[in-house]
Amino acid sequence: MPTGSDLRRAISSGLITGGIMIYLVAVGIAPALAERQVITDYLTLGRLMLALPALAVGYLVAGRVGSAIARSASALAAGVVAGGLFSAALLASVALSPGIRSVLVRLSTGVLDFVGFADLGLEATGGALLMFGLAAGLALLGGLIRLAPGAVRRTIVGGAGAMLVVTLLEPFLRPRLLQWGFAEFDDWLYVAHGMTPISATSVFVVGAILTGVWPRARQAAKARVANADPGARSVMRWALLLVALAFLYTVPWLSGSFLTQVIVLVGFYVLLGLGLNIVVGYAGLLDLGYVAFYAVGAYFTALITSPTSALGWGLNFWVALPMVVALSAVVGLMIGAPVLRLRGDYLAIVTLGFGEIARVLLGSEALKPWLGGPTGILSVPFMIGDGKYSLPIIGEQSGAAATYFPLLGFCVLAAFVAHRLKYSRTGRAWNAMREDEDVAQATGISTVNYKLLAFAMGAAVGSVGGAAFATHLQGVVPGGFILLVSITVLAVVVLGGMGSIPGVIVGAFALIGTPELLREFAEYKLLVYGAVLVAVMILRPEGLVPDAARKAELEESRTDDGPLHGPEFDVISGDA
Amino acid sequence: MTTETSVGTHEMGDPGGRLLLVARAVTKAFEGLVANRDIDFEIPRNSIVSIIGPNGAGKTTFFNQLSGVYHPTSGTIELEGTDISHMPPHEVARLGVARTYQNIRLFQNMTVLANVMVGRHVRMHGQWYGAIARTAGIRREEAAAERRGFELLELVGLARSTSGELARNLPYGDQRRLEVGRALASDPKLLLLDEPTAGMNPGETKRMTDFIARLQRDLQLTILLIEHDMKVVMGVSERITVLDYGEKIAEGTPAEIRANPRVIEAYLGKQASA
Amino acid sequence: MRRPSSIRPADVVLWALGVAIVVGVSVGAFATLSAGLLSGDQWRDLLIFGVSQGSVYALIALGYTLVYGVLFMINFAHGDVFMFGGMTAFFVADYFSDSGFLNGNPILAVPLLLLVGALSSMIVAIVLERIAYRPLRRAPRLVPLITAIGASLFISNSVRGLYGDSIKAYPRIDFFQGTWDIFGIPILKAHATVIVAAVALMAVLYWFVERTRTGRAMRAVSEDKDTAALMGIDVDRIIVTTFAIGGMLAGAAGVLYAIVYNQVIWSMGFLPGIKAFTAAVLGGIGNIFGAMLGGVVLGILESLAPFLLLSGLGVPSPNQLKDVIAFSVLVLVLIFRPYGLFGRKEGT
Repeated sequence: MPTGSDLRRAISSGLITGGIMIYLVAVGIAPALAERQVITDYLTLGRLMLALPALAVGYLVAGRVGSAIARSASALAAGVVAGGLFSAALLASVALSPGIRSVLVRLSTGVLDFVGFADLGLEATGGALLMFGLAAGLALLGGLIRLAPGAVRRTIVGGAGAMLVVTLLEPFLRPRLLQWGFAEFDDWLYVAHGMTPISATSVFVVGAILTGVWPRARQAAKARVANADPGARSVMRWALLLVALAFLYTVPWLSGSFLTQVIVLVGFYVLLGLGLNIVVGYAGLLDLGYVAFYAVGAYFTALITSPTSALGWGLNFWVALPMVVALSAVVGLMIGAPVLRLRGDYLAIVTLGFGEIARVLLGSEALKPWLGGPTGILSVPFMIGDGKYSLPIIGEQSGAAATYFPLLGFCVLAAFVAHRLKYSRTGRAWNAMREDEDVAQATGISTVNYKLLAFAMGAAVGSVGGAAFATHLQGVVPGGFILLVSITVLAVVVLGGMGSIPGVIVGAFALIGTPELLREFAEYKLLVYGAVLVAVMILRPEGLVPDAARKAELEESRTDDGPLHGPEFDVISGDA
Repeated sequence: MTTETSVGTHEMGDPGGRLLLVARAVTKAFEGLVANRDIDFEIPRNSIVSIIGPNGAGKTTFFNQLSGVYHPTSGTIELEGTDISHMPPHEVARLGVARTYQNIRLFQNMTVLANVMVGRHVRMHGQWYGAIARTAGIRREEAAAERRGFELLELVGLARSTSGELARNLPYGDQRRLEVGRALASDPKLLLLDEPTAGMNPGETKRMTDFIARLQRDLQLTILLIEHDMKVVMGVSERITVLDYGEKIAEGTPAEIRANPRVIEAYLGKQASA
Repeated sequence: MRRPSSIRPADVVLWALGVAIVVGVSVGAFATLSAGLLSGDQWRDLLIFGVSQGSVYALIALGYTLVYGVLFMINFAHGDVFMFGGMTAFFVADYFSDSGFLNGNPILAVPLLLLVGALSSMIVAIVLERIAYRPLRRAPRLVPLITAIGASLFISNSVRGLYGDSIKAYPRIDFFQGTWDIFGIPILKAHATVIVAAVALMAVLYWFVERTRTGRAMRAVSEDKDTAALMGIDVDRIIVTTFAIGGMLAGAAGVLYAIVYNQVIWSMGFLPGIKAFTAAVLGGIGNIFGAMLGGVVLGILESLAPFLLLSGLGVPSPNQLKDVIAFSVLVLVLIFRPYGLFGRKEGT
């Protein structure tokens, strides 16, 4: 039997989980996803969202050492508590309805019906009981999964993941399948926007198999590479690169217009993320006003290239670009110079201040003659010709696809620059500065100069993004340059892994791509960003694709050996 | 000016001559607390000198002024004739001062080799644009720095195989060695060692002491030591300066200092180690 | 050859900037005053409004400064703690208003609202500390800051999800309509109440920190955490208490803010939060009296500056730039006088 403390832990976990489930409904996340089918007529994404906490708590609570029965019992207990709390809340909401709607605005009758399984013909009490039972059962299931051997666990997660991916991709997988003539496959896979029970099970099985096979396949591939002679290895590397490039070349053609738009949006954040990565990841400077450089790039470009702007020069984009980058670097230096001696937190806030000042000034009456006020600057010409051009094999590109190629080029260039810098004397100096600023100075590194360099580089990269953005929208408006952009870019870098170049790409796809795929979810984007930032910092501060040194640096903070912050960490860093 | 050393006479024609570092009337006050008062101090070229004194005597404060971390409230410090009194630390480092720290301050999450290569920062020239272009010159410089790094690791007694280890995974003794290696990487003229044998057992202490002597001999280094372990101080120093309550109370050869009543009083009066 | 202390280009730029600002302020002020753009009465009213707004900032700023004093971190989510108090009190106020309690017995109802606001914010602050900050006590400094940003996003958007996007208009409180005559000066009742309530709360806080055991313990912890622990002080509990007190003050401020502006919305935490932080920095972060004074000064500056400076300089729509004033103060203080008016370099 579970011990007293195990039981207590199960109960408190259950209460928290019940709270989370209530939260998911009250905030509106679960109801928003209630229409998205996973398995048509059987399982919606909304229900899945509610099921996950129950599964998770069972999984987590069953982790303690103990007999299988004790552990399962703990999991069940947690589920019972969670289910009980949730069902009680459901009944209370129904009882207090419709008055409760004036406070918790999401709890419409429709939502309460959804939670209470009204579609199965149940009344409130029946629905509550069903929820209770399901919560308990799912928690138990989660516990059982935890008890299973590691390999089994992984395959189950893999299968579930595959199902999720197929669900999320439905909106554009379908048109693609039809376009390429796989209509029959499409019919089998999807029906009425969700999978059928049969196709779902098949997807699960396939996913499970792939996950099971993956570790061994990876090992085998690694061994093949390690055993090959250097000549062959270099050939392999080039081949891989070519394949990757070929794939990237055909992405817009493969993806169709909607998905291409999403990818272009992701691309902008990749570019911005690579720039911020230099500032935050390499030099360790938290810049919350990064959007200002983006804005500088966009507005300078608009001013220089638009024939209707205050300057009216109407220059070609590629002629304007070096000017914009240089100007932006200068702005970066100007902003950086007075503030770079401030310590971390204060630097963050002061850059936030700059960013906000910029935002207000951009849309202000005072600067309207130059910057166009709330309506901004229009008629910014496209990067290449009039926005339509032809490429070999894939034909004419227009719209988002036309932006895709130059943007891809910029991203590759930025990644290349970032990579070269990282493994150079400059990169080492930044590392040292981040580790211990005083000692770095004593080793001969002029921290002021290197911080300025990081700032200027970050500004340069950000401004390229801004320039491309201005041409993509063919205009600039102040509303696009708000604090939230800075925070989003920060979240991308943090989630991917500070200092990690592949991490930025992963982070951008995760944070920018997913809300686009899950449109219903888009309203809760910021909420998720906030939760992600907190979760990443607490659970895995080195990010998803960590940089080795950073991982070590942040791991040590999770033991109790580090120093408590004290007065010697002062407002001005490195002050003597 | 010529000078006799165990190696024979040699000319000292460059600015500053016999003396590498000259500090005159150095005073450092922190908002009412005078940590160093009116200290005169000289370090002859290619010598090993020590600063000793009870805890709180102001030794580390003085050290910090020599490396540019603090600036004297009054007085001057000259390195080979150049006034470094108000220079920022990185410029002092460029002029040839390198140091180690009382509580080891390595770049913990960088590799052993990276630590040493950062130490070499001042003797390298690669800039960001060179790094991006990865010119032949840059590649040569990096390769040379790496070679030198390995040489230094060998010199300080670290196995080549540890070069990829994270600094914080090294045992204590090796960390101290690495710190010295990092300091040596900048080809310094003056090496400041802050309690290099702290936390070491007698065997390790003896090895470190011999090592310090070797550094002076083989690399023609000038070394300034802060130490509490009297065996080390007496064994390796040519001259010792004693600080107490921020002031210099004695200076001389080890034999002179051993017999100096003021020094004995300063130490015994505070029941410090002997 | 003796090198002069290096004059960096950055110093030159800063010096030039400082001169430009002083010149700009003087010219603008002179122009406004000599042109007689506003009457003496109008200036006076602006001043009073500034003081009342500043009192709200001061209450929020106290939370920042207290937390910074013990943890040396900036609680970026504090502004949303402030919002939560005002928001929760809104529902209670609505309920009171429906039942007639609010206008029937304002002397009892309003303090109750303050209490509700204070308690709800306190709970959020305590939960925040426990979940988001405590696990990261020893992490490198960037980490808790990023967490705080995430927490701020999370709290404000959760409120948005739970209670909706819309502005919640506070019920009309008859008691606060109109003005009082104080020494012959007509002062809006709402403003006067806010000022009085804020001063009272600050006095209570001052007494608490100076005279009670817990307050002494808080001061000890902010001086030297390790020694305080050795003296038998439960550092964790003191930290929680600090967050709780900061939260309570912010929650009360949320209610007072709602009384002045008659509305609350999920996003109302951001700007006052940043401005209150500016106030705390202006007064010297970690210094309680500084936070109080900084808040009032900032409130006055924000109220007067658009007219005093910008109109004089011929800037159109100066009120749009009100926020720029606050942010500029923040940036300028941090650049030129990071320790604020009363702060001092720690550890020396």
